[in-house]
Amino acid sequence: MADAPLRPPGALPEEQFLATCIRCGKCAQACPFRAIVQADLFDGLRGMGTPVIRARQAPCYLCLKCPPVCPSGALQRNLKEKEQVRMGTARIDTKRCLAWQGTLCRSCYDDCPIFDIAIRMDDMLQPVVEPKHCVGCGICERVCPAEPAAITVWASGRQKR
Amino acid sequence: MRLTAIRRTVQVCLLLLLFVVPLLNQQGISLVSGTLYSFAIGPLWITDPAIGLQTLFTTRTLDLVLLLSVLLPVVLALVCGRVFCGWLCPQNTLSELADAVAARLKIRRALSPAPTPKLRFVMLGIILLLAAVVGLPLISLLSAPGILSVQAARVVLEKTVGAELALVGLIVVVELFLVRRAWCNLLCPVGTVLGLFRVRRTMKVVFSEEVGRHCTRCHACAQACQLGLDPVAGSLYPQCHNCGACIEACKIDLIRKPLFFQF
Repeated sequence: MADAPLRPPGALPEEQFLATCIRCGKCAQACPFRAIVQADLFDGLRGMGTPVIRARQAPCYLCLKCPPVCPSGALQRNLKEKEQVRMGTARIDTKRCLAWQGTLCRSCYDDCPIFDIAIRMDDMLQPVVEPKHCVGCGICERVCPAEPAAITVWASGRQKR
Repeated sequence: MRLTAIRRTVQVCLLLLLFVVPLLNQQGISLVSGTLYSFAIGPLWITDPAIGLQTLFTTRTLDLVLLLSVLLPVVLALVCGRVFCGWLCPQNTLSELADAVAARLKIRRALSPAPTPKLRFVMLGIILLLAAVVGLPLISLLSAPGILSVQAARVVLEKTVGAELALVGLIVVVELFLVRRAWCNLLCPVGTVLGLFRVRRTMKVVFSEEVGRHCTRCHACAQACQLGLDPVAGSLYPQCHNCGACIEACKIDLIRKPLFFQF
């Protein structure tokens, strides 16, 4: 089974989400950033038609317009604060992160919407993710200048390895 | 009153709506949004009852918002029968078109099974139980109107379509060459669920020689029905979509046909 993709904010745990989401696409229509797209067959048969966020192309800007429109409750409609969002957790590949490799870079730190809390700069001016506060929006992954991104979001539903 | 003319207008308007709604959403106007799985006009939410029923099975919980949003289509089905199928569903529109093409090309179908309403309900039960077991919304994946509307929105928003559309292609091919109007008449779970909401006073096509002029048994009504039903012989439900093609086809004078809608 393919690993769980990044879901819109407020999504139920992955298995529950797959059972509850009716594949109606209303959240994708509500997203002003066109960050939510509908998964196709290549993302796996079980998830076909479900909303996914491909953060490197378009991350979630946490406007939270999608949870209240969900007709099935697959996205929890009462989600109001961006700090409560738990889409996933960003992880830094320090071997490829420019800052960790000695170049001055703080793209992810600067653009993190939970500013200076979810991503902090340590004493060596290297970015560090605080998993307790990271909401998994993927903005860091989007703005990372490394190719491919040195900071990526691991979706909440992704199996531990 | 030309029933078919009105119905065609409604059908075309719905097809346009499938593209207009995502276009409006794209412009930041979100008063209307959604697809034929679930649709919203401002605070008024309308969800396909089949989808609501399915979610009951897949989640084993009752979401109040979802429950409330199926009420309007349920009431419509109770009052007017399966008019969603006959007047709105884009798959029905497509199938009607395909059937007209088949008639023009004189395509003869390989099979002609008799419609069996019981089999429909049994299949619905199997699909729902299977959905509960595998934990996937199988009716969503089998809802041709839902798929068509979602893919229309994806064309607008994402400039792409998904593999779900293969079902629609399969339906059209089967209906053209294998079984006439197979999907709507025999299988569609959306229509089956709408067919559950029938009471004595639900709108129906009635044949009565006491009210109207005498029927000449020309069978124009039965020939007009794409679903292969015969209003004169009776027993139209639950298959009949109340499209009114039979009433329109009746050659007896306009005001007092022996065939009419009645609540």
